[in-house]
Amino acid sequence: MTTDDILITGLGVISAAGNGLAETLASFERGSRNAAAVSLFPTTMHYPVFEVRQIPRDYQLEGQRTLSLALAAVDQALEEAGLADLSHCRVGVCLGTTVASQLNDLDFYRSYRERGEAPLTSVDRYLEGNLAENLARRLKARGPVLTVVNACSSGTDAIGVALSWLKSDLCDLVIAGGADELNHVPYCGFASLGILNPGLCAPFDRDRQGLNLGEGAGVMILEKKSLALRRGKSAGLFLAGYGSMCDAYHLTAPSPEGVGLKASLVAALAEAGIGAAQVGFVNAHGTGTHDNDLVEGKVLAEIFGPGLKMLSTKGFTGHTLGAAGGIEAVFSAAALREGWIPASAGFATADQAIPLTPVREQSAIDGAYAVSTSLAFGGNNAAVVIGQGVGL
Amino acid sequence: MNILGMGILSTRGLGVAAWENALNEGWRAPSAIGIPGEPGGQRSAYLVDLDTVADRTLLKKLRRADKLSKISVLAAADALADSGIPEIGRKKIGIILATAFGAHVTTFGFLDDILDYGDEQVSPTTFSNSVHNAAVSYVTSTLNLQGPTLTVTRFSFPFHCALQLAQAWLDQGRCDHVLVGGADLYGDVLGYVCDLKLTPARDGRIQPFSFQPTCQVPGEGAVFFLLGRGEGAAPYCRLTAVRFGEDADRDAPADLNLIDADGISPDESAYRAWLSQGTPTAAYAPLVGSMMIGGAFNLAAGALMLRRQTLFATPVQDNPHGVKLQTETRQVSIASIRSIGCNCLGEQVVTYLGRI
Repeated sequence: MTTDDILITGLGVISAAGNGLAETLASFERGSRNAAAVSLFPTTMHYPVFEVRQIPRDYQLEGQRTLSLALAAVDQALEEAGLADLSHCRVGVCLGTTVASQLNDLDFYRSYRERGEAPLTSVDRYLEGNLAENLARRLKARGPVLTVVNACSSGTDAIGVALSWLKSDLCDLVIAGGADELNHVPYCGFASLGILNPGLCAPFDRDRQGLNLGEGAGVMILEKKSLALRRGKSAGLFLAGYGSMCDAYHLTAPSPEGVGLKASLVAALAEAGIGAAQVGFVNAHGTGTHDNDLVEGKVLAEIFGPGLKMLSTKGFTGHTLGAAGGIEAVFSAAALREGWIPASAGFATADQAIPLTPVREQSAIDGAYAVSTSLAFGGNNAAVVIGQGVGL
Repeated sequence: MNILGMGILSTRGLGVAAWENALNEGWRAPSAIGIPGEPGGQRSAYLVDLDTVADRTLLKKLRRADKLSKISVLAAADALADSGIPEIGRKKIGIILATAFGAHVTTFGFLDDILDYGDEQVSPTTFSNSVHNAAVSYVTSTLNLQGPTLTVTRFSFPFHCALQLAQAWLDQGRCDHVLVGGADLYGDVLGYVCDLKLTPARDGRIQPFSFQPTCQVPGEGAVFFLLGRGEGAAPYCRLTAVRFGEDADRDAPADLNLIDADGISPDESAYRAWLSQGTPTAAYAPLVGSMMIGGAFNLAAGALMLRRQTLFATPVQDNPHGVKLQTETRQVSIASIRSIGCNCLGEQVVTYLGRI
């Protein structure tokens, strides 16, 4: 198998930046940052968030917001891939999430705690709502099925798992990415860690004060080239490599030397069979927290050099947790196709401790490859390399 | 790929020796657990007692970790040690942990924080431990493993999905070995849900061969396999195939059928289609309790049987349908074992273990 044998034939995305790629790219061009106060749940805190203001009506499932977001993105991706019927191939499903993996319904638990009993509606939704299982059953998928719960790298890792499945011929096509809703529990949790920004996030900025939470879904259709050829399909995009390594350092803090991130990038580039100089840009994890951006900036500079074009799109979407890797891989693929990346929203002043600065304005890109990175709780690090060929 | 080492932590203790003792000794009654808010109320469950872990070294390092993380670290460390491979910790080891419910007990603890103290006064430590991949994070930092690391979840066959991915990682050279684990916990809320949605075993005995109606006893525990392509110091067996859906070798001979029936599905009749009068059948869920990662314990029993060339008696032998059961423990030549998992949606997974 060569490094361009796994094609990306469909992209789907929904976030605060827009529903679908067209809306999203328009937001990027305008520099829109659609953050506001929380509207989805009552809270005494005032950290702004990036909510999806309107999930399309056909996808609104009561009590299953993450699944709703995922299904909206999946249908976009399938439509772009021209896949109305999946019965002709072995379809795998691999989606990352954080919120959908937990039974964290406060009303259910309050009732259980106070009265020793609670209606099981939310339990049923939870049991039916395992993202990958639910989607696989809806689509009658006959390939492998996994929901990845690697915290903030879940989406990137899900795409990496898909690559492994396809390379091992466990299936012909994979629906891969991530989805997460904005939820009360992580909102409180991230606040308790002291890393939520009272204003808008400013990834890699000297004066960054933390992250904004967001929500959304980003999904790719990954397909063996042989199948795509038979279908007469080509997007020109391919998934070239994936790397994942662990810091083995701390539950919530990245290794100061970026041990795992560095190793992940090296592994991803090696699988892609390319050198760092061939990478046109990096869509960084760039949360806007002090530690993440410092470590990530240093590692990216070390591997790609000081001239790297780099951005974080979290200034447009907030940190969408388990969805982030999926959303950002979709953005990276779309940017390769479009030939430009947006300004790194929120960045104004260089941090002298970080040897790279993100792009300040919409920029044309050179190079046939993009890299998207994720760093996560637990010291997980993941990177994917996306390439653009000349078509089939 | 081969199973090179195993780490097992269940209600019957830590380590392969404890697991072998359990297989030899057979069924024991579960613990009676008090039901919060229900004076005198009790339910049965098979719980892991961490106080019985003799070597406290790792537990001292894990003082701030929750129980899911502790049992995961203990089982993972045990699997590495059990492999007997010199300097195994210096190899590039990937980790895939499968869990159905993750750190739900800690999640509810965090919800307690929100309800009791409000949004702004919750514990960051509790939140950090409630994240699904906290357990693996503790495994990596405690054992200093820096390979690829995943936590995955499903409600059907999560451990088997992890095994399938491990094979791909090894084939693609993403790591030298893979620690594949399954871990899940009992908690009061889960017990409450099980009471309402499933049928508790009134006498504490899971009856894997009743098929319908079924009965369950919640369990908890962790199993890790160290997998690799080579044979290591003393391998248990080959793990020759993990197949979802159709199985081309369905009619091929095997020395034992292992079934994952444990009462988590209200109807487990699907297993009957896999069983024949020519092959004995066993199910070891009654030793450890009902768990969505329970298939991992059956596979651990299968691997041990292949190493020992000993078939262990199935622990609960109520047999209303006349299944050919492995009724006694005896030494015998074993070449292959077929492990079968079915759910109530007609989905299935079959795993083959073979003698090396």
